[in-house]
Amino acid sequence: MSEEEHILELLIGPQHPASGHMRLVAKVDGDVVVSLRPDIGYVHRTVEKLAETKNYIQIIPLVERPPLADTANHNLGYVLALERLLGIEAPPRAQWLRTLLAEMTRIHSHFYGIGIHGIMLGSSTAFMWAFWDREIMIELAQRLTGARLTYSYMIPGGVRRDLPPGFEDEMEKALRYLERRIPDYHKIFFDNPVTKARLEGVGVLRKEDAIRLGIVGPNLRASGVPYDVRKVDPYCAYPELDFNVITREEGDSLARVMVRVGEIKESINMIRQILKKMPDGPILEERYLKMIPPKWKDWMAQHRRIKLPAALISLRPPKGEAVARVEAARGEAVYYIVSDGSPKPYRFRVVSPSIRNVVLFEHLIRNCRVADIPAIYGSLDYFPPEADR
Amino acid sequence: MMGLLEWILNLLLSPWLFVPLIYPGLISAFAVLLFIIWLERKLAAKVQLRYGPLYVLKQLGGVIQLVADLLRYLSAEPIVPDQADRLAFIFGPILLFASSYMATVAIPISYNFYAFRSEISLLVVLALTAMAPVFNLVIGWGSNNKFGLIGGLREGFLITADEIPLFVSALAMAILYGTMDLVRMVELQSRWLWGIVLNPLAAITFFVLMLLSTSRFPFEIVEAESEIVMGPFTEYSGILYGLTMGASYVKLYVLSLLFAILFLGGWEPLPPLEFPGSWLILPAAVLFLKALVMMGLSVFMRSVYPRYRIDQALRLAWHYLFPASILSVFLSFVVLMGWFI
Repeated sequence: MSEEEHILELLIGPQHPASGHMRLVAKVDGDVVVSLRPDIGYVHRTVEKLAETKNYIQIIPLVERPPLADTANHNLGYVLALERLLGIEAPPRAQWLRTLLAEMTRIHSHFYGIGIHGIMLGSSTAFMWAFWDREIMIELAQRLTGARLTYSYMIPGGVRRDLPPGFEDEMEKALRYLERRIPDYHKIFFDNPVTKARLEGVGVLRKEDAIRLGIVGPNLRASGVPYDVRKVDPYCAYPELDFNVITREEGDSLARVMVRVGEIKESINMIRQILKKMPDGPILEERYLKMIPPKWKDWMAQHRRIKLPAALISLRPPKGEAVARVEAARGEAVYYIVSDGSPKPYRFRVVSPSIRNVVLFEHLIRNCRVADIPAIYGSLDYFPPEADR
Repeated sequence: MMGLLEWILNLLLSPWLFVPLIYPGLISAFAVLLFIIWLERKLAAKVQLRYGPLYVLKQLGGVIQLVADLLRYLSAEPIVPDQADRLAFIFGPILLFASSYMATVAIPISYNFYAFRSEISLLVVLALTAMAPVFNLVIGWGSNNKFGLIGGLREGFLITADEIPLFVSALAMAILYGTMDLVRMVELQSRWLWGIVLNPLAAITFFVLMLLSTSRFPFEIVEAESEIVMGPFTEYSGILYGLTMGASYVKLYVLSLLFAILFLGGWEPLPPLEFPGSWLILPAAVLFLKALVMMGLSVFMRSVYPRYRIDQALRLAWHYLFPASILSVFLSFVVLMGWFI
């Protein structure tokens, strides 16, 4: 038989139960994957081009759409870039509230990733549990912001709402529940002998390769590189928080999952610290606060929220450019804005963590089994719309 | 008129019609199919903090959900792809289902009620159940789909890996009882002890291989959804898909009945009850309950385990289960020697 005859080209997706919104072109020799090429772009939504036609405030909902599940961190990245362009800074309480929502989003985004990975390995229990436990953070975020996922909570100069009454107690209950729950996941999924057999030593990403390929987020930290934007380039309330960067040395699929589990635990600690240390004060920058008519002031105090001042709606940042980066749940997200002084950005650029991790498909899924494709895919927590933007 | 009714009743109750058609044959196989899939979904739902099937007959927890599903399968159009081998594509699922349930004819219900009694009825059951997976290969090839082909090949690898140790561990019990006649085996167990106590190694091996050969979790490798969509059955729709899905459950049913007879004392011990028809209903019910427990245990694995990779399953089968089944043969000899000494 010639070389071509015993190699089968397998098109996994976009109509496939576990491909996501993308296509994986796998070359298979028997049960061994010779090479795999990800074919991305199926959910490209022209976010960058679309942003050039919108007012600055309208871009907030836009940047939240692609990285669904991890919306708040991307919202934060964009707003930080915009604030740098405007030369303003949010008041301390707003910074802490932003950090709070960012960490809540990180928890439910990681649960989302763990659940999808579970069903890719065939563990429907891990999937259902993770999707239920994710719901708790979503419910609390809804009480804080009014939306389940697309919060649009962070606006230039502050946040839209203050903590609702009784939020601290509800959150403490939720955190205790999550802490009780994580050992259950260990019993049924992480320490399950079948899961271990499927993940240990599968898709090993070596440290030097991870650095060379520019991998970000938990996938990088699972290879033993303690790189976290929250530590390297702290923003919001992170400098005042006490937390560890979770790393693992193994670099295999199991390590990537366990880094996420560790980050969930760290986020739980951070939320406790945030709620304890949060300073009092306004939640919007003084300049905008002054623009709100006095008749709305009572309403704002009563409802603990902001009446959006008209000036925010037609923002005209000065000519220039600004860049901001945040540690989103899936890794480092970079936002870059070029302004020509008009109410719409001249150029807008998003570098999402998934587009930086997509190279791992080609790099890791090679000389492994067909069944390892979903095992590695799931461990990357790769989200096609976030990569396609 | 009464004479005619009585004649029909007698005909139905004659073993060579009752066994293949009613119990443990076609009708109860279908009833089990509908019930066990509901039970599987309900058990998984309990573990996963959900309700599971609920709205079809809400008073009984949606127990006839699968009847609704079956009606849907029946009314859906079975699409035959252009490029498929029509003959293999259409007859594959039918023969797969038929050969899966055919082995029920050789299963006795009580000491004196069976379609036929043979010196080698154990072999007949095993041989007939081992036939079914061949049609998975035919289906995988005939549907002309890459995922189907891979699924069929996986089945091909697994047939040899699971059927051989399954045979050996069943034959270990045959050696222990000194017969391959299923009726005689139950008789001996009621006098000695249950097979699972006499040879636990064979029981464990048989149970794991039962999961492997009926593609239950953690060995749901042939249909692995996140890898190869639905394996050999990827192209199927309508009632043809229903048959392919049902076939593995029917095979599980047959193997569970066999497990109950080999290891759990069959229809013994009978409850001391007397009512019209109790000579038939009681042993049938006892055997059925034991098989149902085994089936429930098998489908419960879905909520506990993810799935193994095929090379890991093959390694498990050849490196551990096959030696274990050979060991269980030796264990049978040891038990026998102990018995005679």
